[in-house]
Amino acid sequence: MRREVHLDLKPLFVLSMLLVMASLSPVLVSHVEADESNQSQAVSALADAEANVVSAYKAVLKADEAGANVSGLLVRLNEAGGLLTRAHAAYGLGDFDYALELANLCQERLSGFVAESDGLRETAIQDHYRDFFVNVVGSVLGAVGVVCGGLFVWFRLDRRYGKSGS
Amino acid sequence: MNFHEYRALFVAIVGILALLVASPALSRLLVFPKTEFFTEFWILDSNHKAENYPFNVTRTASYSVFLGIGNHLGHTAYYVVEVKLRNQTQSAPNSFNRTSSSLPSLINITAFVADEETWEYPLTFSFDYVYNEALSRVEFSSLKLNDASIDVTGFTTGWDSRSSGFLYNLFFELWIYDAATSSFRYHERSVGLWFNMTTS
Repeated sequence: MRREVHLDLKPLFVLSMLLVMASLSPVLVSHVEADESNQSQAVSALADAEANVVSAYKAVLKADEAGANVSGLLVRLNEAGGLLTRAHAAYGLGDFDYALELANLCQERLSGFVAESDGLRETAIQDHYRDFFVNVVGSVLGAVGVVCGGLFVWFRLDRRYGKSGS
Repeated sequence: MNFHEYRALFVAIVGILALLVASPALSRLLVFPKTEFFTEFWILDSNHKAENYPFNVTRTASYSVFLGIGNHLGHTAYYVVEVKLRNQTQSAPNSFNRTSSSLPSLINITAFVADEETWEYPLTFSFDYVYNEALSRVEFSSLKLNDASIDVTGFTTGWDSRSSGFLYNLFFELWIYDAATSSFRYHERSVGLWFNMTTS
């Protein structure tokens, strides 16, 4: 006589599932933690890149006000701005790694930017002073010289020909 | 002939010479101050004309326009163009109240423009959407702007009987960085295009 053995697999299944989950949980947790870490790194890099762009713009503004030629700086600044735009777009799509990479590229593009801008500003200020002395002070003194010279010539001629009346 | 009869001629010659020599200084003193400070903001079609703007839009087809900024503010400016999407019932920028739309920006485009210079940005875009026949509306899933793909799930538009179409407005607001307050403010300029989302 055959005897059928009915095994209740439910507790076995639950137990195996628990074991699988327990073994996978460190992997899952580390994955979530890595994702959160990437996100926080991207947020920090984006904030830094934004602050750098603003600092760079303020430096350009000062150089521009001093009369420097800032066209080359603006090309770089626009490139950095484009990278920042793309970094924000990547962040919006949840691609934190790419957002981080683009934000870092943006900062790299602006490396040494403020110093260069300040240098151009200093040169522009010196050029402005030189220009002021040559063109403004020089020309005013020249005009005074012409008037004084004219008076001198007039009195010389007057002394020579004025009395004779011819 | 008396020598003193030439006095007027002599004074005139010396005066003209003095003015010529002083002209570099005078050119700096007699500069009229600029009184009008403004920014131009425009959108042109793919042929750089204000004629053939795209209107009837097909799903995933690409369309091109050009955005432009002309800076006449007297200094280098830092602009941000906020790209927004709205249907006919949603908030729009108001040129009378000089306010921007309350809708969030989908993407920000930065532009640094020198005084008396222009900036141009080629923009290629496409919409991905489906027609929900049961609700008689178009439901968007994504908007592609140049290389960037933007998730616009939740954006919908219903049938407009007056225009006989599913209308949607892609518009651009111009914001400017204010160095005094270290923040952006709405620059009271916006441009946009209305599209009919075709469903067949």
